[in-house]
Amino acid sequence: MSPAPNRPLTVLTVCGVGMGSSLILKMNAEKALQSLGVEAKVEHTDVSSARGMKADVAIAQGLHADDLGSVAPVVLAISNFMDVDGLRRQLDEALRAQGWLS
Amino acid sequence: MTEPGADPVVDAVVDVRAADWRGAVHAACAPLVSSGALEPRYPERCIAIAEEHGPYMVLAPGIALAHARPEDGVLRLCLSAAVLSAPVEFGHDQNDPVDVVLAFGSPDDSAHLALLQSLAEHLLEGLADQLRLAPDRATAVRALSAVRPPSE
Repeated sequence: MSPAPNRPLTVLTVCGVGMGSSLILKMNAEKALQSLGVEAKVEHTDVSSARGMKADVAIAQGLHADDLGSVAPVVLAISNFMDVDGLRRQLDEALRAQGWLS
Repeated sequence: MTEPGADPVVDAVVDVRAADWRGAVHAACAPLVSSGALEPRYPERCIAIAEEHGPYMVLAPGIALAHARPEDGVLRLCLSAAVLSAPVEFGHDQNDPVDVVLAFGSPDDSAHLALLQSLAEHLLEGLADQLRLAPDRATAVRALSAVRPPSE
């Protein structure tokens, strides 16, 4: 547990190329975070660039998630990029576990 | 070169027989290569990226989005789809098999943002099933043509 950041959460969506899948994931993450009432700044990038970045939450396909442990304290592995409800549930659970959402 | 706000090149193919996922990627890119929106090396780059990083292009159950970077041979903003007559395995642990392979290319790092936003909306509203049910190429192209950046 750590105190809720006193600022919008920084969220990074990651894919292999940083052009397509990560962009769709960014849009759906924004929708999910909005429905949770969480203020957040979401950016998308490719997995190589992501390794040099820091965020509160990183979201990626399962095949990249193992690479992102040093990027963010919360790393979510997503299989269906179009499942906004599923993403909202994963974010809800993870943010509550951090004490960032009550 | 694409001027800002230019309409994307959109095309589709239906009832495609692909031997494997590589064939499916080539099929999805083929109409865009034929029309000169993509260089022939682009689908090879998509395949090379997947060989290096895994099946990054598989977005959701049954749906893949083949794409690489602008410098990998994109001449115009473009979007296409190949609907497969028999699904193929991409090696994704949850979303295989795939029968709708989309492909897009962007000539720079921002030309595609609005197009992909629209694509995401249409996929959420059932675009993949519209493509699967399209009886012919013209119908599939029409379905995919609904995906376009909002006009200024």
